[in-house]
Amino acid sequence: MILDFQLHNLTVVEELETGLWRVTLRAEDNLFASTIILDIKAPALDIRAISLEIARDVFGMVPDLTEAEKKLVGVRVGPGMTKIVREIVGGSSGSDRVAELLLEAMEMLVNAITVPELRKATELGPSQPHGERNDTVTVLNDRVIGLEMIRRLASNPRLKDSCAAFKGLD
Amino acid sequence: MKKSSMPQYSRVKTCGVQKQGSDYRVVSGILEDELYAMECEICVHWPELTIKTVNAEMKRFTTERCLLAGKVFRDCEGWQIDSGLDGRIKKELGRNGCRHMAILIVDCLHSLVRAELARELQAALLVDAGLDRKEFLNNFLHRNPGLGNYLKIH
Repeated sequence: MILDFQLHNLTVVEELETGLWRVTLRAEDNLFASTIILDIKAPALDIRAISLEIARDVFGMVPDLTEAEKKLVGVRVGPGMTKIVREIVGGSSGSDRVAELLLEAMEMLVNAITVPELRKATELGPSQPHGERNDTVTVLNDRVIGLEMIRRLASNPRLKDSCAAFKGLD
Repeated sequence: MKKSSMPQYSRVKTCGVQKQGSDYRVVSGILEDELYAMECEICVHWPELTIKTVNAEMKRFTTERCLLAGKVFRDCEGWQIDSGLDGRIKKELGRNGCRHMAILIVDCLHSLVRAELARELQAALLVDAGLDRKEFLNNFLHRNPGLGNYLKIH
């Protein structure tokens, strides 16, 4: 059957200079399209600059977010950001869709910062994943993080019990 | 041309929705970034708005224990599309399974519901190209109040 609706969502994180990242999120579906650009600076990981562009809004649901944009400058990527962003951008006078996309963009910075650490942890462990299907022609996981490193990572309260990998290790 | 840096990280997510007969909607989703690659297909019984079947596969992941997550994804079969569904998926499939797959499943189900709105709008525009879209949306939400709450359309 032919598809009658598609969503495409691309987020790119680049380090403009040491400790200054730009997160660009582009979301597009049949009813809505938006580009969000955030400049975020270490060490506080606070938003220094922001651009919210709505390119398609078939039902005209997104209000003018100029004031919300100004209030977002200074908001930090970290604990509490979900509540703050939803209060500033979401709700009946804002756009919950844009609020969720902003939070997604902010979370992708955390992923980006985590990648080098996870890469190092992966290189330490020559482990093969348990339960990997043996009928796969092309193996995507030639190396994964082994149990010893998993236990070490799970000692971080943010990761402990956060998913199947970090559960039931005690 | 302005000098620019190379991407340090990128994630792509894509969801595609199709209608299968009058009673079923099917959505397929793909997520890929530097660390993860995963796919899912979800079939929803439309008049009842319940998840009928889920097939979720983790293809690239980070730890040797990630595949344990595969045991929980089908737990959502039978769950209903309502305002509590996102939280339930993130909590039960995310925390007990994989939060990246949970996010993909949430996006897939949102797309599935938005597709309904888009499909009905497209049909209505064929009849009346100048229809009032706000009025159309209000009528849709009046007929489907649960979907408005689910998508947080005020």
